[in-house]
Order: sequence, then structure tokens, then C-alpha cells
Amino acid sequence: MSGRVIVITSGKGGVGKTTTNANIGTALAKMGKKVVMIDTDLGLRNLDLLLGLENRIVYTIVDVVEERCKLKQALVKDKKNPNLCLLAAAQTRDKTAVTEEQLKEICEKLQKDFDFILVDCPAGIEQGFQNAVAGASEAIVVTTPEMSAVRDADRIIGLLEAKEEIKSYKLLLNRYRPNMVNANDMMSVDDVVEILSAELIGIIPEDTGIITSTNKGEPIVNDEKSLAGQAYNNVARRIIGEDVPFLNLEEPKGMVAKMKKFFSNLIGKEK
Amino acid sequence: MDKGYIENGFIVDVSNANRTSEIIYELSRILDLPDAQCKKVCLKLGSVDLSATELTSIKALVESMNSEIEFINTSSNKTAQSAEELNIKVAVLENNVPTPEFDADQEKVNQELEKALDKIFGNENSEIKTFGQKKDIKELKEASLAAEDTINDSEEIKDETVNPESQMETVVVEEVKTDKNDVIEEAVQSTLFEETSEKSIYEKFNSELENANKIDGEDIKDIDYNLDDLRKSLRETEKLPTLYIQRTLRSGQSIKSEGNIVIIGDVNPGSEVIAKGDITVWGILGGIAHAGSDGNSYARIRALKMNAIQLRIGDTFARRPDSINIPYIQKTDTFVPEEASVRKKQIIIHKMHES
Repeated sequence: MSGRVIVITSGKGGVGKTTTNANIGTALAKMGKKVVMIDTDLGLRNLDLLLGLENRIVYTIVDVVEERCKLKQALVKDKKNPNLCLLAAAQTRDKTAVTEEQLKEICEKLQKDFDFILVDCPAGIEQGFQNAVAGASEAIVVTTPEMSAVRDADRIIGLLEAKEEIKSYKLLLNRYRPNMVNANDMMSVDDVVEILSAELIGIIPEDTGIITSTNKGEPIVNDEKSLAGQAYNNVARRIIGEDVPFLNLEEPKGMVAKMKKFFSNLIGKEK
Repeated sequence: MDKGYIENGFIVDVSNANRTSEIIYELSRILDLPDAQCKKVCLKLGSVDLSATELTSIKALVESMNSEIEFINTSSNKTAQSAEELNIKVAVLENNVPTPEFDADQEKVNQELEKALDKIFGNENSEIKTFGQKKDIKELKEASLAAEDTINDSEEIKDETVNPESQMETVVVEEVKTDKNDVIEEAVQSTLFEETSEKSIYEKFNSELENANKIDGEDIKDIDYNLDDLRKSLRETEKLPTLYIQRTLRSGQSIKSEGNIVIIGDVNPGSEVIAKGDITVWGILGGIAHAGSDGNSYARIRALKMNAIQLRIGDTFARRPDSINIPYIQKTDTFVPEEASVRKKQIIIHKMHES
């Protein structure tokens, strides 16, 4: 078995790299794939929190690199899904504790046992980014429909194109708000795709549920009612090669539709 | 009173206990050890008044562990009467050594002594007496040899059981919050690192005994002095230097010390405190704390509020249960000081006013 190594990166911070990583990883694992997530954000780790695995971490990637434990010992199994593993970052060290070669070696070892290796990249384009990208052959660039995020994503795509190892990269548009786009207050999907001229792999709508799920340590894909959860599930299905149409994120218009929505909310069956 | 002598048995000294529940707790703790089974027991009950019913239940407890009460030693007339009704022999020990008197200051040392005795009870087959008694050198040597045996034993077991591949699988020990009396029922058995933690203690114990042997056998005073030392060495964290920190530890910060650590302030999640001795946090402990990092399982962790992600003492490991796995720190107005220590190779947290 030779697993696919996908780096999830963005350049700008706070656009949802870690959330994307946790959700895509969980969604892939739910489909029966063996998934390992590597947190390379040394010193500012968060992926463990989002998965609710903070209290299980004994060894980190730095312990593996410095040979205080075996790679298998450092993999933390998910609470619910045995297909899902996490290789946590060290909280008390900085980005220099791991080198590009070491990360590459870890990815190569993990490829034998896992279908997917998702690498969570830190913000920025410094050593942390270089490390995260080192072992990967595919990339997902996360961006939001804001000028600053799109500008940074452009910079990242430029850097990725310069790397020989990265065979393909896809764009993921996060925190999308259709009503703002309709009011011409936000860049539309087409605008972003046009600026970046990259293939789109998914559009995730803004969802307040993300905040709750982060606080609970429970990825939102486990909540099937949530629109963002469905969108992440679709992204995962596109990654394994399924042809899934994009979700209709438009709010229903007109009086009848509004009434329909009101009643469905009342009964608690959201469409 | 008659003079009693026991063979293939041991003395359980619960004369410091004031209530029946304490006696039963101590007894069940000691008798639960595998090597304490099928033995004859001398019970030192002290001045506690026990009715016949209470004594029957104590007897039943001892018998449920396949051991039997050989005789009891008590200074209470009521207990002696009850024992007579139940046909239990009341006697004093044959070598008629006065029981050491511990004053209030020594109570803590005494507790540690009890712990140390637990360890020995669990491993030695020959007759054992309390450390306070004036033993002769020969007995000391025997005890020393026996301790050596146990070290060898534990090393052998270690080789068999410690399998690096399986370690990660077994690092699942639920944190146990419990009252003292419920420890046995509620504690979750830890399977990891079982053998390793004991070894270093025995080594210390053994080396202290060797020192005692070197002293001329006739000078009993000197030997007694050394036995006192031995008692203290089991809780040697008191001798270590202490690092004193008066600020809040934030995520990513790490403090290591060769001795004890005292922190006046919070320890936020994401930070770690590692000490060879004890760790005391005057605030909320929300990060990772590792006391006795060189393998001393007698080290302790104390905090005004215990909210730690992970606790490690010596080679024992506990993590916060998922049910209260809240990623952010819980600020609070009510503080209940708690202390974590290792008992039966598991980390136990108890409220400090109960200890």
C-alpha cells in the first residue's frame, strides 16, 4: 500500500486549515480509509484539541525524530474511529526541532500503513511550511473569500508550483456566505477561482456549529444535519475520486420558501 | 496475657486506627496483596473498643482472603472480652518488644512507614515485624537478602512483560477520583509499567539496609538511628531542593527541576511541569504534571484545583476522563485542594482535608 500524502496549507492564519484537516480526516476515516493526520504546527498545536485527543498525547513528532519512541507508539488513535490516527506536534518546542528530511522520512514510513496522510501546515511561508510540504505529493490550499486570504493563497500556490514533489493542488473555499455574495459584499466563488486559476475541491459555508464543535473536540462531519459537515463530507468524497456536485448554499427566496424554512425549523427538520 | 508466636505469618499493626472502618480499610488493603494470602495474621488493635459483631466482620474479612487470625493484641478490655466470646486468642508478642511510640509530629513519617511495610508484606515470605522494634543484626540481614530476592524477581518479570510494541495500547488509565474508603472498589487497574516503579524503591531500601549491616552489631542505638533514616528515605522528596516560581505557566512553557517545584499561580493547558520530587501548584493545574520523573513513585502532585490533562507520577500515568475533556480552563471561585499519589500502581486523587 502506498498512501497519498496531502498537505493542507493556506499561508494566512485563521482561515481554517486545522478545521479542514480534522474534518476531512474524520470523513475519510468514516468511509473506511486508514487515515493519519500529522500536526506540524510545532509550538502552536491545535489539531489534538479539535479531535478531543489532547489528554491522550504522550509522545509527539519531536519524540519520534529524537528517537525517544517508535513511530507507532506516537500515533494516537481516535476515540471513535480506529481508522483514524494523530501524530501530534510538540507544544514546548519550535519549528526548528524537525527538519524537512525527517518529515519526509516519517511520511514515507506512514505511507506503507495508511491510505491517507494529511499534513496540517502552520501559517506562514517559513521553515514550518517548508517542513510540512517536504513529504507531500498533493496539496489543498484553504482560503476564504477575502482579499488578504486570496492574496496569500496566491503566494502559496506560487511556492507549491515551484516544488517538484507537489504533483497537484486544489483550492478549498472556506467560510463562504452566499447572502453577502448576493449583496455584493463578498467575493463570489467565480471571482476567487478566476484570481487563483486553480481547481476547486469544495466550498464550505460559514457555520456557527464549527465553533461549538471545536470547543467540544468533536469534528463537525459527525453532525449530519450541519451544512458545513455535509460540505466537508463531499470534499472527502471528491478526494477519493467520486464525482459529487457542489452543495446548493443559496438561501431559499420568496415568501413560500421562507415560510417553509420557518416551519421546518420549527419542527426541527432542517433541509 | 499470653505470649504469642506466629510462624508463616505477619503482624498487622492497626493500633493507630481510631475507627472500625479504618481498620477494615487498612486490612483489606494489606491482605489484598497476593503474597499476603494463606498466612497467619497477628492483629495489633491498640486501644479501639470493638464489639463481638465488629470483630466477627474483621475475622470474616481476614478469612475471605484465605488467611486466618492467629491472635490479636489489644489494650481495650471490651475488645479482649469480644475476642474471648469468639475464641480468638489475645496475646502479646513473644519477643516482647515495646511498640514504638509515635508522637503527633511523626504521624506523617508513620504513614510512609505503613506504605513501606505494604511493599514488604507483598513480597516477603518469612516472618516480618515492624521497623520500630529493636531487631538484631541477623534479622536485618535476612530482611536484606529477602529484599534482594524481590529485586531479582521483579527484574525477571519486567523482562517478560515490557513489550515496547504494546506500550501505547495500554496507556489508558482512567483518572480515579475517589474517597479514601472507596479506593479499592473504584480504582481502575493499570497494566502499564507495573514492575518498573518498584525496583528503584527496593534498591534504596536495600542500600540503606546494607549500611545498617556495616555497623557493629552490639551498638543497637546506631542501628535504630539508621532505621529512622530508612523510614525517611522512602519519602526522600523532603530532602530535595525546591524550585519556587511565582507566575502563571502558559501554553508551551515547560519547567524541569531536579528537586521539588512550587508554583504560585496557574499552570495552563499546554504547559508541562516535570520534577524529580513533588509538584505543588497554588492555583489551577491544567497542564501536564510529572512528579518523581526519575521513577520515584512516592512523589506527589498537589493543586488548589486539579484539572490536569495528564498526571504522571514515577512511571504511572493517568489522563483526564473524556467526560470532562474541556479544552479551555475552568475558572472557579471554589477551590478544593487535592493531592495525587500512587497507590497500588494507580494514580489516586483525594481531597487534602481527607488525607
